[in-house]
Amino acid sequence: MLMTFRMLFRQTIVLILIFTIPLVFLSVVQLTSSENLLPISLASTAAPKVLFFPELRISLVYMAIASCAFLVAFLSLYLVQQNHKTNKRLITCGYHPIELMLSILFALLIIIVSIAVYIGILIFLFDSFERFTGIVVGLALVGFVYGCYGLLIGSLVKRELEGILLVLLLVNIDVGWLQNPVFYAQSANQEFIKFLPGYYPSQSTVIHAFTDFSTVNVNFSAFLYGISLLIFALLLFLNKMRLR
Amino acid sequence: MYILQVDHIKKSFGKNNVLEDISFSLSAGTLTGITGENGCGKTTLLKLITGHYKADSGSINKSGQLGYCPQECILFPHLTARENFNYFAVAYGLSMSDADRQMSHLLSCFNFEKYIDYKVNTLSSGTQQKLNLCIALLHQPDLLVLDEPYNGFDWNTYTKFWEYSLELKDKGCAILVVAHLLTNTDIFDAIYNIENGLMK
Repeated sequence: MLMTFRMLFRQTIVLILIFTIPLVFLSVVQLTSSENLLPISLASTAAPKVLFFPELRISLVYMAIASCAFLVAFLSLYLVQQNHKTNKRLITCGYHPIELMLSILFALLIIIVSIAVYIGILIFLFDSFERFTGIVVGLALVGFVYGCYGLLIGSLVKRELEGILLVLLLVNIDVGWLQNPVFYAQSANQEFIKFLPGYYPSQSTVIHAFTDFSTVNVNFSAFLYGISLLIFALLLFLNKMRLR
Repeated sequence: MYILQVDHIKKSFGKNNVLEDISFSLSAGTLTGITGENGCGKTTLLKLITGHYKADSGSINKSGQLGYCPQECILFPHLTARENFNYFAVAYGLSMSDADRQMSHLLSCFNFEKYIDYKVNTLSSGTQQKLNLCIALLHQPDLLVLDEPYNGFDWNTYTKFWEYSLELKDKGCAILVVAHLLTNTDIFDAIYNIENGLMK
């Protein structure tokens, strides 16, 4: 795992991406959003059907989710795809693919927690939210689901460009558009949006950010979604890396 | 006793029949060369032996530890040479003391000491190829499979490479060298040529 981190963080671009992307996204939100009240819907049975919150606060949370999903998915894709041939050589030399996958998973776990805490701190610097831990848990779940999606894509496609496009496509459509709480509240087909990977972790983050309702159900659903993606990713990775 | 037995191997990629019917065997303490034109299937054969590809038919039996030096430098570019040595030593199941001892021996043999703490992506291609080869030799394998191992070597390293190979051969290692140009033909126990998917 230590070597995996060394390989990742010796590339300056990775550190620059991690620190600047959320900062730039949230700064743009701070500069451009108003204090107008906008309607949102929450996936909590205890919540009223529609709640009203300032555009700035909603946008900060929404951008925090989008930047977390993008960063973690991109990094997990990179963890699987970078040095694919060298990893295969390690397996020829005696490593088991599961050992490699475990080292990637541990590294990914630390990346998810670090990014969730970093973005959590950033949105608290931009505006005052009450449930810091809850928001960080929500963001960590966003990271977990999208991290597993990145692993899945990295195990599925060989070339970097295809992987990046597939990650960008889903992140943009899902957390970058359909999971926007304002769009979701007014959307024509909420059932479809619920099937997307960003739904439960986004809802967990939004519920934590704006209410004190329970998030046990959405957290559990997000975790299950992530685990399902992880199982597929693991099977594809083992098949890709095994010796014939 | 055979260290490697390749028996009637066939491999094709789509309609391209690369290897039609390949059979040969390597005993302990032998040096064998395989040559042939570009694209004749030399690297494919090695990838079948190392388990990267599955043969369409036929069988491959190996015994003992395998050392494999691929044609291109396949190492971790953002790690130093020492870190690469350590990473592969763990994969080979070597103890740290054994790995250190063998690494020091290889470094002095291939005149590589001063680059040990350089990141791989900062090394010249010839130096990367030295490291690529040394990684394959780290655990003193029983079967050594080398794909174009001396590409980019200077004359001294080239000479050292053959000296070291003969040392290994004397210790009982079966060595398979694949190259489109094989010199020093007198030191080989056997040289095969792949032509139209067949071994001659």
